[in-house]
Amino acid sequence: GQTGKLMYVMHNSEYPLSCFALFENGPCLIADANFDILMVKLKGFFQNAKANKIESRGTRYQYCDFLVKVGTVTMGPSARGISVEVEYCPCVIANDCWNLLMEFMQSFMGNHTPGIPSVFGTKHDSIYSPADTMVQYMELFNKIRKQQQVPVAGIR
Amino acid sequence: LKGQQASPFVLRARRSMDKSGMPWHLRYLGQPEIGDKNRHALVRNCVDIATSDNLTDFLVEMGFRMDHEFVAKGHVFRKGIMKIMVYKIFRILMPGNTESIEPLSLSYLVELNVVAPAGQDVVSDDMRNFAEQLKPLVHLEKIDPKRLM
Repeated sequence: GQTGKLMYVMHNSEYPLSCFALFENGPCLIADANFDILMVKLKGFFQNAKANKIESRGTRYQYCDFLVKVGTVTMGPSARGISVEVEYCPCVIANDCWNLLMEFMQSFMGNHTPGIPSVFGTKHDSIYSPADTMVQYMELFNKIRKQQQVPVAGIR
Repeated sequence: LKGQQASPFVLRARRSMDKSGMPWHLRYLGQPEIGDKNRHALVRNCVDIATSDNLTDFLVEMGFRMDHEFVAKGHVFRKGIMKIMVYKIFRILMPGNTESIEPLSLSYLVELNVVAPAGQDVVSDDMRNFAEQLKPLVHLEKIDPKRLM
């Protein structure tokens, strides 16, 4: 009898053997690929949300210690935006390298450089985990889902 | 997890107490397979998942409710794909606190189980043959989960 809450099941090609399951403002579980099989068994207990599957697909670039992944975000057949993921590999404590990351992003993103992600809000010095990446993607995808699709006008 | 179906969905979560940092283990066990009466061992569909250590918080968020918990201490033996466990079950006196425990009984429980790909029924014959070797020290028999529910 509780109000429906959404559980997101996500996959990341950077971690091909893992499956991520998360709740908004809730825990993010990292599990192995068998989790998908378990979800099939649980089908009768949950409603598949109307929201379509959303994915970002693109190219992975390695530039010295940085990893940059640029992808096209698609929901079903339609393209909805572009995602840019930037990672500074040697550092595992977000606060210690945020300034460096920002400087690097400004060099090719200019005004589009984002502010510090909210995942680092409360826990300043905790070790970065792949779950933190997935939470950011979930937030980005949700933002894209809420955006109005711009209708394309036909010209005769 | 209780849904509209008659029987609730049961999951088992397990973690190592002597090795910290190891993933938690989540297991789903289905109902005993049809045609089971002739087999020497209990056969059930099984899905094993390794997870991060926030498993219990996550299951609660999903709507699961804890049914029971216990501590098992003992030994694990292997013979090919057969796993034999000899362990004592301990009752946990305060929920979530594994420091204060008391043994459920003075005796050890011996369990023989095998995880094998679907359809390999011959495995239950190997299990029965092995069980014969343990007699009269241990008398292993196939359990009927319905009797225990």
